[in-house]
Amino acid sequence: MYRYDAIDRAFVQDRTAEFAGQVVRRLAGEITEDQFKPLRLMNGLYLQLHAYMLRVSVPYGTLSSVQLKKLAHIARTYDKGYGHFTTRQNIQFHWIKLADTPAILGELAMVEMHALQTSGNCIRNITSDPRAGATAEEIDDPRVWSELIRQWSAIHPEFSFLPRKFKIAVTAAPQDRTAAKLHDIGLLLRRARDGSLGFEVIAGGGMGRTPYVGPTIREFLPAHHLLSYLEAILRVYNRHGRRDNIYKARIKILVAQLGAEEFARQVEAEWEAMDRPSVDAPDTELARIRGFFNPPGFAVLPPKSEVFEGAKADPAFARFVRNNVHAHKQPGYAIVDISLKAPGETPGDATADQMDAIADLAERFSLDEIRVTHEQNLVLPHVRLDDVPAVFATLKAIGLSTPNINLVSDIIACPGLDYCALANARAIPVAQDIATRFADPERAELIGELKIKISGCINACGHHHVGHIGILGVDKKGEEFYQFTLGGSAAEDAEVGKILGPGLPANRVGDAVETLVDVYLRERKDGERFLDTYRRTGLTPFKEAVYAEAH
Amino acid sequence: MKALTANTLREGEVVFWNKGAWKLRFGEAELFEDDAVAEAAALAAVNPTQIVEPYLIDVEAAEDGFAPVAFRERVRALGPQNHPQHGKQAEGGHDIEVIQHAHGVARSAGRHNLIKLKK
Amino acid sequence: MPKLIRLHGQAADWANDSFVLVGEEDAVPASGDVILSLARFQAEGAALLDDGRSVGVVLESDQAVEDLAYDLPRLSLVALRFPKFRDGRAYTSARLLRERFGFGGEIRAVGDVNREQAGFFVRCGFDAFEPADGSTPEQWLAAAHRFRHVYQRGADGREPAFVERNG
Repeated sequence: MYRYDAIDRAFVQDRTAEFAGQVVRRLAGEITEDQFKPLRLMNGLYLQLHAYMLRVSVPYGTLSSVQLKKLAHIARTYDKGYGHFTTRQNIQFHWIKLADTPAILGELAMVEMHALQTSGNCIRNITSDPRAGATAEEIDDPRVWSELIRQWSAIHPEFSFLPRKFKIAVTAAPQDRTAAKLHDIGLLLRRARDGSLGFEVIAGGGMGRTPYVGPTIREFLPAHHLLSYLEAILRVYNRHGRRDNIYKARIKILVAQLGAEEFARQVEAEWEAMDRPSVDAPDTELARIRGFFNPPGFAVLPPKSEVFEGAKADPAFARFVRNNVHAHKQPGYAIVDISLKAPGETPGDATADQMDAIADLAERFSLDEIRVTHEQNLVLPHVRLDDVPAVFATLKAIGLSTPNINLVSDIIACPGLDYCALANARAIPVAQDIATRFADPERAELIGELKIKISGCINACGHHHVGHIGILGVDKKGEEFYQFTLGGSAAEDAEVGKILGPGLPANRVGDAVETLVDVYLRERKDGERFLDTYRRTGLTPFKEAVYAEAH
Repeated sequence: MKALTANTLREGEVVFWNKGAWKLRFGEAELFEDDAVAEAAALAAVNPTQIVEPYLIDVEAAEDGFAPVAFRERVRALGPQNHPQHGKQAEGGHDIEVIQHAHGVARSAGRHNLIKLKK
Repeated sequence: MPKLIRLHGQAADWANDSFVLVGEEDAVPASGDVILSLARFQAEGAALLDDGRSVGVVLESDQAVEDLAYDLPRLSLVALRFPKFRDGRAYTSARLLRERFGFGGEIRAVGDVNREQAGFFVRCGFDAFEPADGSTPEQWLAAAHRFRHVYQRGADGREPAFVERNG
């Protein structure tokens, strides 16, 4: 993992001191709420329905045990004993007091963390592959580049007051676990024929009110030019992105209006005019950062483990392995997903005790590392096969052994109207209801991969546009209604879902999901996922079934 | 009928206005029959070092009491549904039960003077 | 008249502002230093410069610095307006003036200009400010130099972390 040096430490301390001063001035009435709001947002602090919410950055989804324990401590000391992992690989605390926030930021700084740029119209936390450094699929470690971008984007003098927020994803595997094509910029690591490293650059993807799968604006950017090229994209956006309408201010609208080709031409022209060597980080710096991501001391182990194979005699363990355990690049190791989606629980929530327990597991069994996924789950990236049964047993004891990764009950949901000041409808109770209906793990496995994503408003924090089944809460004359979309995907085959039909009242949502699943089970051919069947049959059979019931 | 609500600056706590003081429970809120009186109270209540963005909400008679009209405001007056032990609902009491059992469709039109997003 | 803070290296002071901003409807004063809108400058600027007057131009946030490129060597100052402090276009304008066009005159921040932005201003090449929040030069300096280290190259010549580390 990356570790701060004296410069990084000083930077976060300076930032914390700055915000502490701003809080003091706000409490004393020296600055107004209008002036203070953008300042607190740039430090991740929102005022929500019941209290302040602090969103802490988990840089590209990586945590150490010490960091996760600090998050548990914050949950226990300053909140009500839990936190909520988000679709941006961050964590939110929902019951925060303004007066406590300088102290919390100080505690975070002690473990090399911050809440910098987790809100506001600036470059947000970088999204990356939760299996980075553990999967054999990747052609390079995306964390190296994510860390480079994290530093470059930190209080960027030119790009901290953009037309709108700005999200960047970096991935290096053919299987996209970052939703790269739905980001303002998606960076896909590629190797050229001569072996040199570069990026396919995607720009102008996004969700929200007007979803777009981003187009490729450059097939291959030599990797060492990453920062100057990003600077060129951001500069074109900062100058020409719309500022008159909050819903048309994201880069996706600019790219769509100019066309990908013209946008790319403007970026290239800016890039050509730029003094690139002054912007790009030197090779020495890249090497320094890369050094932090060297393989973390793997043991030489046989590829098969008798302990692991033997434990599969327990059907519950075997089921857990089938769904939550994945191949590791190092023989004798595995990647273990921890589902935060126990049916009936709040998607993405973890209690302070659970966080502590997971941190202990990581310390003992995962070379001190934990990852956060954009699907609101956690990952132990480096577990010896021999240790997986012990990890499973501990997870079971703390209620976190749900074997449902990528299954129907592994639902993404934003906090919705239970917490969020922007929401129009609740999302959590909807997710709880659906997951409870599919709580039988055998049935869930029979259904197979099915990604349900729920947002409580059009801002789409719950990624509903790219759910195999997407559910959007809307406010229809004051009543909560839910609009379904089908066929979305956030993966390498990214696609925006199509609207099924008129919105449904809250009490019909669960039945409708069951109907959609029944149609799929009826229609599916061998080996088809829900998404495959939908792509073959189209909306019609699903639509007919859901709306036939309406009468 | 209207009530005046806000969040406190220091804690972000939901509060309701009653004759010059901010109260923690919806049941303690002053109910205004007269919109003009309510709006005057909203202006008088502005205190930037104590509270953030006070605004008026619609209130209607419910069985054996009163409840905010808007679903959002009911959530604020109660707490999150996924954690019944958190928020105002944790303490229970008659006013909480009235809101929990309020019938009818909640209308979001019950918010006033909120910052409007540009369409 | 708004007060002006001017930066001199690591120091900042209240400055005497000799420039008069000419209103859109007003006649250009017979003598003295003036700041004109882009349109007025394009119509009247050349004559004033030929008379040996000191001339500045104020650019709105949607106006491109490229439109001034030809005249920059003769301009004393460029004022960049922030209609709202959330409008960050002028940061790019300032960097382009300094880094691409090599403008050595004064770059002044006007409009919704507050000390919370001081660090961004200085890093992008601004060296004069009309604070809208009543900040003093001392407060301004403290805010501008809050960060002991920076991560990117700007127009202020500060060395980014990657240079410090390998220096």
